[in-house]
Amino acid sequence: MIKKKKCVAMLLAGGQGSRLSPLTRNTAKPAVQFASRYRIIDFSLSNCVNSGIDTVGVLTQYQPLELNDYLGNGTPWGLDLRHGGLHVLPPYQAEEGADWFLGTANAIYQNLAFIEQYDPEYVLILSGDHIYKMNYDIMLQEHIANEADLTVAVIDVAPEEASRFGIMNTDEEGRIIEFEEKPAHPKSTQASMGVYIFTKKALVKYLTQDEQDPDSSHDFGKNIIPAMLADGQRVYTYLYKGYWRDVGTLSSYWQSNMDTISEDPELVLHDSRWRIYYRHYHNRPQYIGATGSVRRSICGDCNEILGSVESSVIFDNTLVEWGAEIKDSIIMNDCEIKKDAKVYRAILDNQVIVEEGAVIGSDDEDAPLTVIDRGVVIRAGEVIPAGETVLKR
Amino acid sequence: MSTAGIILSDANRETQNGLIQDRTLASLPFGGRYKVIDFTLSNMVNAGINHIGITTTRNYISLMDHVRGGNVWDLDTKLSGISFLPPFGSVRCQKEYKGWLEALQAHVGYIEALEDEYVLFTSCNYIGTLDFEKMIDRHISSGAKITALYTRHPLHQGATLPIIRYSMNEDGFLTNVEKSLQAPADEDACYGIYCFVMNRTDLLERLYATSRDGESSLSQDLLAPMARAGEAAGFESNATLLFVEDIPGYLQSNLELLDWKVRKELFEQPQLPIITRAQDSAPGHYGDDAVVENCLIADGVKIDGTVRNSVIFRGVHIQKGAVVENCVVMRDGVIGANARLAYTVLDRRVVVGEGRSLSGYITHPFYLERGTVI
Repeated sequence: MIKKKKCVAMLLAGGQGSRLSPLTRNTAKPAVQFASRYRIIDFSLSNCVNSGIDTVGVLTQYQPLELNDYLGNGTPWGLDLRHGGLHVLPPYQAEEGADWFLGTANAIYQNLAFIEQYDPEYVLILSGDHIYKMNYDIMLQEHIANEADLTVAVIDVAPEEASRFGIMNTDEEGRIIEFEEKPAHPKSTQASMGVYIFTKKALVKYLTQDEQDPDSSHDFGKNIIPAMLADGQRVYTYLYKGYWRDVGTLSSYWQSNMDTISEDPELVLHDSRWRIYYRHYHNRPQYIGATGSVRRSICGDCNEILGSVESSVIFDNTLVEWGAEIKDSIIMNDCEIKKDAKVYRAILDNQVIVEEGAVIGSDDEDAPLTVIDRGVVIRAGEVIPAGETVLKR
Repeated sequence: MSTAGIILSDANRETQNGLIQDRTLASLPFGGRYKVIDFTLSNMVNAGINHIGITTTRNYISLMDHVRGGNVWDLDTKLSGISFLPPFGSVRCQKEYKGWLEALQAHVGYIEALEDEYVLFTSCNYIGTLDFEKMIDRHISSGAKITALYTRHPLHQGATLPIIRYSMNEDGFLTNVEKSLQAPADEDACYGIYCFVMNRTDLLERLYATSRDGESSLSQDLLAPMARAGEAAGFESNATLLFVEDIPGYLQSNLELLDWKVRKELFEQPQLPIITRAQDSAPGHYGDDAVVENCLIADGVKIDGTVRNSVIFRGVHIQKGAVVENCVVMRDGVIGANARLAYTVLDRRVVVGEGRSLSGYITHPFYLERGTVI
């Protein structure tokens, strides 16, 4: 006997995030750390949980080790359930052979058996690449009210940016009449967020059909949505109003982190009605010394701050010695910023050591970001010019 | 040869103050994000103790809520477990028990059902990162029937509370147990801590006997006779032991954490991690005008004012212009704009209005009980 689930979420977490390198050198984009204590995937997972969706399949492919470890059995998100919960779905071998996921649609197609276990009426398709707080249940209610086969979540983007996105052209009721992938002359500013709700019957039908087509690139945007529109299926938009960022590049990643630090932040993390859950590491509270100062910043746990921190995002277990200065920077776990060292407009991955008096980046507001790879040691007195990326050999 | 643990979650019978009015001593918040029992449980788990009973009498909701099945300490596995031992009527104990010995007497059934050879039982009136494994080893190697923990350097033990003093012989065995209200004059005195290891069968025997004779004092009726018979070994701990039984001790013990040596000893021994239940708080947020000096600050806070020499718990909001010095502010406290606080202990969810000014002294801190609005 199977107990039905109303809606099952499938979270595409195979993204390589190559433009985020070196942060993604050893890990998939969804596992990249964000805002002192989170990973990017925490936002989508927490959205599911807060929206009442308790069955989530996470499709992995690129560098899955750290991500799998992080997800575990889903306990941090309350997704360690007897029926449902979080399931990691890697590519697998079958009788007919082994396949990597060939595209977003193919990845879901290969896991239709997982979805069918729960016999849901609706399937929510997400990616684990975005920073946003969204109630999927409101979108689902609209999907049901519209008797839609597919609902695509959209945000309103600036007209000059529209040509970077998949743009939906709709009638007055929000029904999509045309979909254009990265159009040169966009007719609307409604951009797809990569969040889809399918009525399961339609999903199975179109995925199966798409699978037969040897010319298809098996992509939701390029193949599935156009095919459904061509057949006159009921495809609607759901307009999401709120903070949503792709964090696809180092500068958008940096900016999105910085969106959390002001006194009235664009991205509110301190939100008791929409908590973002994360896997905890057992650290003591942080200590700020008599010589330390922390302003316009967010901080994790177990840091020892004896120097100055301003407009920055500090993760866990970092030491900032006396006289050291950190400004406009992201400092991940287990770093050491020694005496009189300066870090400006930089991203320091985990375990970076900045020895005494070294200077990273430039204080200039227009200076490009400086990025230091995991585990790099910057020697005493060394100067790393703005815009540089220092890789671990 | 395994050891089971029993945690006596209540305060000493003599202890009474606002901090433990609505909670057990074990669930008293400490150090920004911990509860006292986190230290006790972690110490036990770190010593390989994986069956743990927790005796309670009153107000144990917050304790149960915190410990739950013990999953955070890896105590809910096939080979481990936590049992709450609340009072209940039985032939041996027909009224709600009061003291620690009575609590143990009431729960002989639990102790009988254990399969471990030894039992380590402890109160929750002290905080420290202790190596219980060494204490158990000492118990086994000494051949004693009971091994009692003691220290020569208790920190902030309440001046109004009775002190247990052990007299020791050269072999490290107890010769006498004294209970007095006055601190010993000699610097070398051995202060007894209510933490003991016994063979389980010996413990049961003593519990049957004391229960039959209507005896109810752990130190006087269980330990003292064994000390006089030369059956009680002492185990000296050199660890920092902080006492939180009264309000001055509570404030001073929290402020000890601002000393990096204490912090390091308590929280940064890789083999002796102290684990607590996490709360999904956001990262700590520091505003444009925040001034923070010599403070221990938990996550989920919002600091827009000035804080010095203080311990700030999760979810606390210190508004602009407020000045907080030498204080402990427990969870979800709100310090209004331009308020001034010094030497004040704020229990959970206290709201201090704009511009209010409160001050105690290090030996006489001002205490604001849970939910106070000023």
